[in-house]
Amino acid sequence: MCLRPFIFALLIVLAAGCAPRGKETLVVGMELAYPPFEMTDESGSPEGVSVDLARALGESLHRPVTIQNSAFDGLIPSLKTGKIDLIISSMTATPERAESIAFSDPYLTTGLALLAGAKSEIHGIADLDREGRTVAVKKGTTGHIFATQNLHAARILLLDKEGACVLEVAQGKADAFIYDQMSVLKNWEQNRQTTRPLLEAFRKEQWAIGLRKQDDALLVKVNTFLKEFRTTGGFERLGNRWLRGQKAAFIERGIPFVF
Amino acid sequence: MNPTAQSIAVRALHFVVALALLAAVFAFAFHQLAYEWHWAPIFKYRDKFLHGWLVTIALSIASLAGSTAIGLALALSRRSRVLALGYAAKITVELIRGTPLLVQILIFFYVIAEAFRVTDRYVVGVTTLSIFSGAYISEIIRAGIESVGKSQLDAARAVGFTRAQTYRHVILPQALRQALPPLAGQFASLVKDSSLLSVIAISEFTLNAQEVNSYTYLPLESYLPLALGYLALTLPISLGTRWLESRTSYET
Repeated sequence: MCLRPFIFALLIVLAAGCAPRGKETLVVGMELAYPPFEMTDESGSPEGVSVDLARALGESLHRPVTIQNSAFDGLIPSLKTGKIDLIISSMTATPERAESIAFSDPYLTTGLALLAGAKSEIHGIADLDREGRTVAVKKGTTGHIFATQNLHAARILLLDKEGACVLEVAQGKADAFIYDQMSVLKNWEQNRQTTRPLLEAFRKEQWAIGLRKQDDALLVKVNTFLKEFRTTGGFERLGNRWLRGQKAAFIERGIPFVF
Repeated sequence: MNPTAQSIAVRALHFVVALALLAAVFAFAFHQLAYEWHWAPIFKYRDKFLHGWLVTIALSIASLAGSTAIGLALALSRRSRVLALGYAAKITVELIRGTPLLVQILIFFYVIAEAFRVTDRYVVGVTTLSIFSGAYISEIIRAGIESVGKSQLDAARAVGFTRAQTYRHVILPQALRQALPPLAGQFASLVKDSSLLSVIAISEFTLNAQEVNSYTYLPLESYLPLALGYLALTLPISLGTRWLESRTSYET
Protein backbone atom coordinates (compact mmCIF):
# COMPACT_ATOMS: atom_id res chain seq x y z
CA MET A 1 0.00 0.00 0.00
CA CYS A 2 2.55 2.54 1.09
CA LEU A 3 4.88 1.20 -1.59
CA ARG A 4 2.72 2.63 -4.37
CA PRO A 5 4.42 6.05 -4.62
CA PHE A 6 7.80 4.35 -4.66
CA ILE A 7 6.70 2.10 -7.53
CA PHE A 8 5.39 5.12 -9.42
CA ALA A 9 8.68 6.91 -8.91
CA LEU A 10 10.52 3.86 -10.14
CA LEU A 11 8.33 3.64 -13.24
CA ILE A 12 8.96 7.30 -14.05
CA VAL A 13 12.71 6.77 -13.74
CA LEU A 14 12.52 3.68 -15.96
CA ALA A 15 10.37 5.47 -18.53
CA ALA A 16 12.84 8.36 -18.66
CA GLY A 17 15.66 5.88 -19.12
CA CYS A 18 13.91 4.13 -22.01
CA ALA A 19 12.96 7.30 -23.89
CA PRO A 20 14.12 7.16 -27.53
CA ARG A 21 17.47 8.86 -28.01
CA GLY A 22 17.44 10.54 -31.42
CA LYS A 23 16.86 14.27 -31.81
CA GLU A 24 17.73 14.70 -28.16
CA THR A 25 19.60 17.74 -26.92
CA LEU A 26 23.34 17.32 -26.47
CA VAL A 27 24.26 18.79 -23.09
CA VAL A 28 27.86 20.03 -23.08
CA GLY A 29 29.43 20.87 -19.73
CA MET A 30 32.12 23.53 -19.32
CA GLU A 31 33.30 26.07 -16.77
CA LEU A 32 32.67 29.49 -18.30
CA ALA A 33 35.66 31.04 -16.58
CA TYR A 34 38.52 30.49 -18.97
CA PRO A 35 38.60 33.09 -21.71
CA PRO A 36 38.87 32.95 -24.65
CA PHE A 37 38.00 29.24 -24.57
CA GLU A 38 35.01 29.23 -22.25
CA MET A 39 33.45 32.56 -21.31
CA THR A 40 30.28 34.63 -21.56
CA ASP A 41 29.50 37.69 -23.69
CA GLU A 42 28.10 40.94 -22.28
CA SER A 43 24.57 39.55 -22.20
CA GLY A 44 25.71 36.46 -20.29
CA SER A 45 25.38 33.85 -23.03
CA PRO A 46 28.29 31.42 -23.47
CA GLU A 47 30.90 32.07 -26.13
CA GLY A 48 34.47 31.16 -26.98
CA VAL A 49 36.53 28.47 -28.70
CA SER A 50 34.90 25.56 -26.85
CA VAL A 51 31.40 26.94 -27.39
CA ASP A 52 31.99 27.22 -31.15
CA LEU A 53 33.45 23.72 -31.13
CA ALA A 54 30.40 22.36 -29.27
CA ARG A 55 28.03 24.06 -31.71
CA ALA A 56 29.92 22.68 -34.72
CA LEU A 57 29.81 19.20 -33.16
CA GLY A 58 26.04 19.52 -32.60
CA GLU A 59 25.57 20.56 -36.23
CA SER A 60 27.48 17.56 -37.52
CA LEU A 61 25.49 15.20 -35.23
CA HIS A 62 22.18 16.96 -36.07
CA ARG A 63 21.46 17.50 -32.40
CA PRO A 64 20.65 20.80 -30.66
CA VAL A 65 23.33 21.83 -28.15
CA THR A 66 22.84 23.19 -24.62
CA ILE A 67 25.83 24.58 -22.74
CA GLN A 68 25.83 23.75 -19.02
CA ASN A 69 28.06 25.97 -16.89
CA SER A 70 29.66 24.08 -13.99
CA ALA A 71 32.70 24.41 -11.71
CA PHE A 72 35.68 22.63 -13.23
CA ASP A 73 36.02 19.97 -10.56
CA GLY A 74 32.29 19.27 -10.77
CA LEU A 75 32.44 18.44 -14.48
CA ILE A 76 33.50 14.80 -14.20
CA PRO A 77 30.93 13.98 -11.48
CA SER A 78 28.21 15.69 -13.60
CA LEU A 79 29.21 13.60 -16.60
CA LYS A 80 29.21 10.36 -14.61
CA THR A 81 25.81 11.01 -13.06
CA GLY A 82 24.29 11.85 -16.48
CA LYS A 83 23.70 15.57 -15.88
CA ILE A 84 25.79 16.35 -18.97
CA ASP A 85 26.70 14.31 -22.07
CA LEU A 86 30.10 15.75 -22.94
CA ILE A 87 32.87 17.83 -21.40
CA ILE A 88 34.46 20.45 -23.64
CA SER A 89 36.24 22.63 -21.12
CA SER A 90 39.92 22.83 -22.05
CA MET A 91 40.34 19.58 -20.17
CA THR A 92 43.67 17.78 -20.42
CA ALA A 93 43.40 14.05 -21.09
CA THR A 94 45.37 12.70 -18.12
CA PRO A 95 45.75 9.02 -17.20
CA GLU A 96 44.09 9.73 -13.81
CA ARG A 97 41.01 11.24 -15.46
CA ALA A 98 40.98 8.48 -18.09
CA GLU A 99 40.41 5.95 -15.29
CA SER A 100 37.10 7.60 -14.60
CA ILE A 101 35.89 8.86 -18.01
CA ALA A 102 36.67 8.31 -21.71
CA PHE A 103 38.46 10.87 -23.88
CA SER A 104 38.18 11.66 -27.59
CA ASP A 105 41.26 12.13 -29.76
CA PRO A 106 43.13 15.25 -28.60
CA TYR A 107 42.28 18.49 -30.40
CA LEU A 108 44.85 20.86 -28.94
CA THR A 109 48.40 20.64 -27.60
CA THR A 110 49.79 22.98 -24.98
CA GLY A 111 52.07 22.72 -21.97
CA LEU A 112 52.46 23.76 -18.36
CA ALA A 113 54.38 26.99 -17.89
CA LEU A 114 55.13 29.43 -15.07
CA LEU A 115 53.92 32.89 -14.23
CA ALA A 116 56.69 34.12 -11.92
CA GLY A 117 56.73 37.17 -9.71
CA ALA A 118 58.71 40.13 -11.06
CA LYS A 119 60.95 40.10 -7.98
CA SER A 120 61.12 36.33 -7.59
CA GLU A 121 64.49 34.79 -8.46
CA ILE A 122 63.29 31.64 -10.19
CA HIS A 123 64.20 30.91 -13.80
CA GLY A 124 62.36 27.64 -14.35
CA ILE A 125 60.68 24.67 -12.78
CA ALA A 126 64.03 23.23 -11.58
CA ASP A 127 64.83 25.99 -9.10
CA LEU A 128 61.18 26.33 -8.01
CA ASP A 129 61.19 23.18 -5.92
CA ARG A 130 63.32 24.43 -3.00
CA GLU A 131 62.73 24.94 0.70
CA GLY A 132 61.11 28.33 1.33
CA ARG A 133 59.63 28.68 -2.16
CA THR A 134 55.85 28.92 -2.59
CA VAL A 135 53.89 27.75 -5.61
CA ALA A 136 50.29 28.75 -6.38
CA VAL A 137 48.03 26.31 -8.23
CA LYS A 138 44.35 26.27 -9.15
CA LYS A 139 42.44 23.41 -7.55
CA GLY A 140 41.70 20.46 -9.82
CA THR A 141 43.88 21.62 -12.74
CA THR A 142 46.80 19.69 -14.21
CA GLY A 143 49.08 22.28 -12.59
CA HIS A 144 47.69 21.17 -9.21
CA ILE A 145 48.21 17.48 -9.99
CA PHE A 146 51.73 18.17 -11.31
CA ALA A 147 52.65 20.13 -8.18
CA THR A 148 51.43 17.49 -5.72
CA GLN A 149 53.25 14.72 -7.59
CA ASN A 150 56.51 16.45 -8.47
CA LEU A 151 57.21 19.29 -6.05
CA HIS A 152 58.32 18.10 -2.63
CA ALA A 153 60.31 20.91 -1.03
CA ALA A 154 58.24 23.91 -2.13
CA ARG A 155 55.07 24.94 -0.31
CA ILE A 156 51.93 24.48 -2.42
CA LEU A 157 49.15 27.06 -2.17
CA LEU A 158 45.87 25.60 -3.32
CA LEU A 159 43.39 28.21 -4.56
CA ASP A 160 39.90 28.18 -6.04
CA LYS A 161 40.25 30.91 -8.65
CA GLU A 162 42.77 31.70 -11.34
CA GLY A 163 42.58 35.38 -10.36
CA ALA A 164 43.59 34.59 -6.77
CA CYS A 165 46.62 32.60 -7.99
CA VAL A 166 47.75 35.55 -10.13
CA LEU A 167 47.22 37.95 -7.23
CA GLU A 168 49.36 35.78 -4.92
CA VAL A 169 52.20 35.96 -7.45
CA ALA A 170 51.72 39.67 -8.19
CA GLN A 171 51.85 40.51 -4.45
CA GLY A 172 54.93 38.34 -3.96
CA LYS A 173 53.15 35.89 -1.64
CA ALA A 174 53.93 33.08 -4.08
CA ASP A 175 57.02 32.71 -6.27
CA ALA A 176 55.16 31.30 -9.25
CA PHE A 177 51.82 30.05 -10.54
CA ILE A 178 51.75 26.85 -12.57
CA TYR A 179 49.27 27.02 -15.46
CA ASP A 180 49.09 26.45 -19.19
CA GLN A 181 51.12 28.56 -21.63
CA MET A 182 48.23 30.60 -23.04
CA SER A 183 46.87 31.58 -19.63
CA VAL A 184 50.34 32.48 -18.39
CA LEU A 185 50.77 34.75 -21.39
CA LYS A 186 47.35 36.36 -20.92
CA ASN A 187 47.91 36.97 -17.19
CA TRP A 188 51.34 38.46 -17.77
CA GLU A 189 49.85 40.86 -20.32
CA GLN A 190 47.48 42.11 -17.63
CA ASN A 191 50.20 42.33 -14.95
CA ARG A 192 53.34 43.42 -16.78
CA GLN A 193 54.75 45.36 -13.79
CA THR A 194 54.47 42.63 -11.19
CA THR A 195 54.90 39.32 -13.07
CA ARG A 196 56.97 37.71 -15.81
CA PRO A 197 56.09 34.73 -18.02
CA LEU A 198 58.32 31.65 -18.24
CA LEU A 199 56.63 30.10 -21.25
CA GLU A 200 58.97 27.16 -21.84
CA ALA A 201 56.64 24.17 -21.41
CA PHE A 202 58.01 21.68 -18.86
CA ARG A 203 55.15 19.25 -19.42
CA LYS A 204 53.20 18.67 -22.61
CA GLU A 205 49.42 18.43 -22.35
CA GLN A 206 46.72 17.51 -24.80
CA TRP A 207 43.14 18.66 -24.49
CA ALA A 208 40.32 16.33 -25.45
CA ILE A 209 36.54 15.99 -25.22
CA GLY A 210 35.38 13.96 -22.22
CA LEU A 211 32.65 11.31 -22.49
CA ARG A 212 31.09 8.60 -20.32
CA LYS A 213 32.95 5.31 -20.61
CA GLN A 214 29.95 3.38 -21.91
CA ASP A 215 29.11 5.93 -24.67
CA ASP A 216 31.16 4.12 -27.35
CA ALA A 217 28.88 5.07 -30.24
CA LEU A 218 29.12 8.78 -29.36
CA LEU A 219 32.91 8.50 -28.99
CA VAL A 220 33.25 7.21 -32.56
CA LYS A 221 31.05 10.04 -33.86
CA VAL A 222 33.00 12.70 -31.91
CA ASN A 223 36.33 11.42 -33.24
CA THR A 224 35.01 11.40 -36.81
CA PHE A 225 33.81 14.97 -36.34
CA LEU A 226 37.17 16.14 -34.94
CA LYS A 227 39.07 14.66 -37.91
CA GLU A 228 36.70 16.27 -40.39
CA PHE A 229 36.75 19.62 -38.53
CA ARG A 230 40.55 19.68 -38.72
CA THR A 231 40.80 18.81 -42.42
CA THR A 232 38.21 21.43 -43.34
CA GLY A 233 40.19 24.12 -41.50
CA GLY A 234 37.80 24.48 -38.58
CA PHE A 235 40.54 24.80 -35.93
CA GLU A 236 42.44 27.28 -38.11
CA ARG A 237 39.29 29.44 -38.19
CA LEU A 238 38.80 29.13 -34.41
CA GLY A 239 42.43 30.17 -33.83
CA ASN A 240 42.05 33.21 -36.07
CA ARG A 241 38.78 34.23 -34.49
CA TRP A 242 39.63 33.90 -30.79
CA LEU A 243 43.42 33.58 -30.41
CA ARG A 244 44.94 36.04 -32.87
CA GLY A 245 47.05 37.81 -30.25
CA GLN A 246 48.29 34.61 -28.63
CA LYS A 247 49.16 33.13 -32.00
CA ALA A 248 51.32 36.15 -32.83
CA ALA A 249 53.01 36.05 -29.40
CA PHE A 250 53.75 32.33 -29.72
CA ILE A 251 55.26 32.75 -33.20
CA GLU A 252 57.30 35.73 -31.99
CA ARG A 253 58.81 33.61 -29.19
CA GLY A 254 59.39 30.63 -31.46
CA ILE A 255 57.01 28.39 -29.52
CA PRO A 256 54.69 26.15 -31.60
CA PHE A 257 51.05 27.27 -31.55
CA VAL A 258 48.42 25.12 -29.86
CA PHE A 259 46.21 23.98 -32.77
CA MET B 1 5.30 1.31 35.82
CA ASN B 2 5.65 4.75 37.37
CA PRO B 3 4.68 7.81 35.30
CA THR B 4 8.19 9.21 34.75
CA ALA B 5 9.57 5.87 33.57
CA GLN B 6 6.63 5.54 31.23
CA SER B 7 7.06 9.02 29.80
CA ILE B 8 10.75 8.32 29.21
CA ALA B 9 9.85 5.11 27.40
CA VAL B 10 7.23 6.89 25.27
CA ARG B 11 9.63 9.67 24.40
CA ALA B 12 12.36 7.20 23.50
CA LEU B 13 9.93 5.35 21.26
CA HIS B 14 8.88 8.54 19.46
CA PHE B 15 12.51 9.55 19.05
CA VAL B 16 13.32 6.21 17.44
CA VAL B 17 10.28 6.51 15.13
CA ALA B 18 11.33 10.01 14.03
CA LEU B 19 14.88 8.81 13.43
CA ALA B 20 13.68 5.77 11.49
CA LEU B 21 11.46 7.95 9.27
CA LEU B 22 14.36 10.24 8.40
CA ALA B 23 16.63 7.26 7.80
CA ALA B 24 14.02 5.72 5.49
CA VAL B 25 13.84 8.90 3.37
CA PHE B 26 17.62 9.01 3.01
CA ALA B 27 17.90 5.28 2.38
CA PHE B 28 15.31 5.57 -0.39
CA ALA B 29 17.05 8.57 -1.98
CA PHE B 30 20.47 6.92 -1.93
CA HIS B 31 18.98 3.67 -3.17
CA GLN B 32 17.49 5.47 -6.20
CA LEU B 33 20.88 6.88 -7.11
CA ALA B 34 22.61 4.89 -9.84
CA TYR B 35 26.03 5.39 -8.34
CA GLU B 36 28.89 3.01 -7.72
CA TRP B 37 30.40 3.58 -4.30
CA HIS B 38 34.19 3.43 -3.97
CA TRP B 39 35.33 3.98 -0.42
CA ALA B 40 38.81 2.45 -0.66
CA PRO B 41 40.48 5.37 -2.51
CA ILE B 42 38.99 7.78 0.04
CA PHE B 43 40.27 5.78 2.96
CA LYS B 44 43.83 6.29 1.69
CA TYR B 45 43.41 10.01 2.34
CA ARG B 46 42.20 9.63 5.95
CA ASP B 47 45.18 11.58 7.33
CA LYS B 48 44.29 14.46 5.03
CA PHE B 49 40.71 14.49 6.34
CA LEU B 50 41.95 14.36 9.93
CA HIS B 51 44.45 17.17 9.37
CA GLY B 52 41.78 19.36 7.78
CA TRP B 53 39.34 18.60 10.58
CA LEU B 54 41.88 19.57 13.25
CA VAL B 55 42.66 22.83 11.42
CA THR B 56 38.93 23.58 11.30
CA ILE B 57 38.64 22.92 15.05
CA ALA B 58 41.56 25.26 15.76
CA LEU B 59 40.13 27.97 13.48
CA SER B 60 36.70 27.59 15.07
CA ILE B 61 37.94 27.82 18.66
CA ALA B 62 40.08 30.87 17.91
CA SER B 63 37.27 32.60 16.00
CA LEU B 64 34.74 31.67 18.67
CA ALA B 65 36.79 33.44 21.33
CA GLY B 66 37.56 36.34 19.00
CA SER B 67 33.97 36.82 17.87
CA THR B 68 32.62 36.72 21.42
CA ALA B 69 35.06 39.45 22.48
CA ILE B 70 34.32 41.55 19.40
CA GLY B 71 30.57 40.98 19.71
CA LEU B 72 30.56 42.06 23.36
CA ALA B 73 32.69 45.12 22.59
CA LEU B 74 30.43 46.15 19.70
CA ALA B 75 27.25 45.63 21.74
CA LEU B 76 28.53 47.70 24.68
CA SER B 77 29.86 50.39 22.32
CA ARG B 78 26.41 50.74 20.79
CA ARG B 79 24.98 51.48 24.23
CA SER B 80 27.90 53.73 25.14
CA ARG B 81 27.29 57.34 26.13
CA VAL B 82 30.10 58.41 23.75
CA LEU B 83 28.10 59.03 20.59
CA ALA B 84 31.00 58.53 18.14
CA LEU B 85 31.71 55.09 19.61
CA GLY B 86 28.06 54.11 19.19
CA TYR B 87 28.02 55.22 15.55
CA ALA B 88 31.33 53.47 14.80
CA ALA B 89 29.89 50.21 16.15
CA LYS B 90 26.65 50.68 14.25
CA ILE B 91 28.40 51.35 10.94
CA THR B 92 30.72 48.37 11.43
CA VAL B 93 27.82 46.02 12.16
CA GLU B 94 25.81 47.17 9.15
CA LEU B 95 28.81 46.97 6.79
CA ILE B 96 29.75 43.49 7.95
CA ARG B 97 26.22 42.10 8.00
CA GLY B 98 25.37 43.61 4.63
CA THR B 99 28.27 42.16 2.63
CA PRO B 100 29.17 38.55 1.75
CA LEU B 101 31.81 36.83 3.89
CA LEU B 102 33.61 35.68 0.72
CA VAL B 103 34.17 39.31 -0.34
CA GLN B 104 35.28 40.27 3.18
CA ILE B 105 37.86 37.47 3.27
CA LEU B 106 39.30 38.46 -0.11
CA ILE B 107 39.41 42.19 0.76
CA PHE B 108 40.89 41.61 4.21
CA PHE B 109 43.59 39.32 2.88
CA TYR B 110 44.56 40.91 -0.43
CA VAL B 111 43.96 44.58 0.41
CA ILE B 112 43.90 45.38 4.14
CA ALA B 113 46.38 42.78 5.42
CA GLU B 114 48.66 43.55 2.47
CA ALA B 115 48.63 47.25 3.37
CA PHE B 116 49.46 46.50 7.03
CA ARG B 117 52.10 43.90 6.07
CA VAL B 118 50.33 41.02 7.82
CA THR B 119 51.43 38.00 5.81
CA ASP B 120 50.15 35.07 7.89
CA ARG B 121 46.98 33.90 6.15
CA TYR B 122 45.76 32.01 9.22
CA VAL B 123 45.89 35.15 11.38
CA VAL B 124 44.01 37.10 8.71
CA GLY B 125 41.49 34.28 8.34
CA VAL B 126 40.69 34.05 12.05
CA THR B 127 40.47 37.84 12.34
CA THR B 128 38.06 38.13 9.41
CA LEU B 129 35.88 35.34 10.68
CA SER B 130 35.86 36.84 14.21
CA ILE B 131 34.80 40.25 12.94
CA PHE B 132 32.12 38.74 10.68
CA SER B 133 30.64 36.57 13.40
CA GLY B 134 31.18 39.28 16.04
CA ALA B 135 28.83 41.61 14.15
CA TYR B 136 26.02 39.07 14.41
CA ILE B 137 26.84 38.24 18.03
CA SER B 138 26.74 41.92 18.98
CA GLU B 139 23.17 42.13 17.69
CA ILE B 140 22.22 39.00 19.63
CA ILE B 141 23.72 40.43 22.82
CA ARG B 142 22.08 43.82 22.20
CA ALA B 143 18.68 42.14 21.81
CA GLY B 144 19.33 40.25 25.05
CA ILE B 145 20.25 43.43 26.91
CA GLU B 146 17.23 45.30 25.57
CA SER B 147 14.92 42.50 26.64
CA VAL B 148 15.51 43.52 30.26
CA GLY B 149 12.60 45.75 31.28
CA LYS B 150 13.08 49.42 32.09
CA SER B 151 11.42 48.96 35.46
CA GLN B 152 14.28 46.68 36.50
CA LEU B 153 16.84 49.36 35.62
CA ASP B 154 14.86 51.87 37.68
CA ALA B 155 14.75 49.37 40.54
CA ALA B 156 18.51 48.83 40.30
CA ARG B 157 19.07 52.59 40.39
CA ALA B 158 16.68 52.87 43.35
CA VAL B 159 18.70 50.41 45.42
CA GLY B 160 21.85 52.39 44.60
CA PHE B 161 23.56 50.18 41.99
CA THR B 162 26.20 51.85 39.84
CA ARG B 163 26.08 51.41 36.04
CA ALA B 164 28.70 48.63 36.21
CA GLN B 165 26.85 46.87 39.05
CA THR B 166 23.58 47.08 37.14
CA TYR B 167 25.21 45.39 34.13
CA ARG B 168 26.93 42.75 36.27
CA HIS B 169 24.01 41.76 38.56
CA VAL B 170 20.83 42.71 36.71
CA ILE B 171 21.28 42.97 32.94
CA LEU B 172 23.91 40.42 31.92
CA PRO B 173 22.49 37.35 33.76
CA GLN B 174 19.10 37.85 32.10
CA ALA B 175 20.56 38.95 28.75
CA LEU B 176 22.72 35.81 28.66
CA ARG B 177 19.72 33.55 29.08
CA GLN B 178 17.87 35.34 26.27
CA ALA B 179 20.92 35.24 24.04
CA LEU B 180 21.88 31.58 24.48
CA PRO B 181 19.65 29.93 21.84
CA PRO B 182 20.54 32.35 19.00
CA LEU B 183 24.18 32.26 20.14
CA ALA B 184 24.25 28.49 19.72
CA GLY B 185 22.97 28.91 16.17
CA GLN B 186 25.56 31.59 15.47
CA PHE B 187 28.44 29.47 16.80
CA ALA B 188 27.32 26.53 14.67
CA SER B 189 27.26 28.81 11.61
CA LEU B 190 30.70 30.05 12.52
CA VAL B 191 32.08 26.50 12.37
CA LYS B 192 30.55 26.00 8.93
CA ASP B 193 31.51 29.48 7.68
CA SER B 194 35.16 28.67 8.39
CA SER B 195 34.99 26.57 5.20
CA LEU B 196 35.02 29.81 3.18
CA LEU B 197 38.57 30.46 4.37
CA SER B 198 39.67 27.94 1.75
CA VAL B 199 39.56 30.74 -0.83
CA ILE B 200 42.77 32.17 0.62
CA ALA B 201 44.39 28.71 0.58
CA ILE B 202 43.83 27.94 4.26
CA SER B 203 44.04 24.19 4.42
CA GLU B 204 40.86 23.51 6.43
CA PHE B 205 38.40 20.61 6.36
CA THR B 206 36.38 21.55 3.25
CA LEU B 207 39.44 22.37 1.17
CA ASN B 208 40.98 19.01 2.03
CA ALA B 209 37.79 17.19 1.05
CA GLN B 210 37.63 19.12 -2.23
CA GLU B 211 41.25 18.23 -2.83
CA VAL B 212 40.53 14.54 -2.27
CA ASN B 213 37.62 14.89 -4.70
CA SER B 214 39.88 16.36 -7.37
CA TYR B 215 42.36 13.47 -6.93
CA THR B 216 39.78 10.68 -6.85
CA TYR B 217 36.75 12.10 -8.75
CA LEU B 218 34.52 10.59 -6.05
CA PRO B 219 32.40 13.56 -4.91
CA LEU B 220 29.87 11.82 -2.67
CA GLU B 221 32.49 9.73 -0.92
CA SER B 222 34.65 12.84 -0.41
CA TYR B 223 31.85 15.05 0.92
CA LEU B 224 29.89 12.66 3.15
CA PRO B 225 32.74 12.47 5.70
CA LEU B 226 32.70 16.27 5.57
CA ALA B 227 29.06 16.37 6.69
CA LEU B 228 29.78 13.98 9.56
CA GLY B 229 32.88 15.93 10.60
CA TYR B 230 30.97 19.24 10.80
CA LEU B 231 28.09 17.57 12.63
CA ALA B 232 30.55 16.23 15.19
CA LEU B 233 31.51 19.85 15.92
CA THR B 234 28.13 21.58 15.79
CA LEU B 235 26.14 18.99 17.73
CA PRO B 236 28.17 19.42 20.98
CA ILE B 237 27.67 23.19 20.63
CA SER B 238 23.87 22.88 20.59
CA LEU B 239 23.82 20.27 23.35
CA GLY B 240 26.23 22.34 25.46
CA THR B 241 24.12 25.49 25.14
CA ARG B 242 20.96 23.57 25.97
CA TRP B 243 22.65 22.43 29.17
CA LEU B 244 23.75 25.99 29.93
CA GLU B 245 20.19 27.19 29.30
CA SER B 246 18.85 24.77 31.87
CA ARG B 247 21.51 25.96 34.33
CA THR B 248 20.62 29.65 33.90
CA SER B 249 16.83 29.32 33.79
CA TYR B 250 14.81 30.49 36.74
CA GLU B 251 11.31 31.58 37.58
CA THR B 252 10.46 35.17 36.69
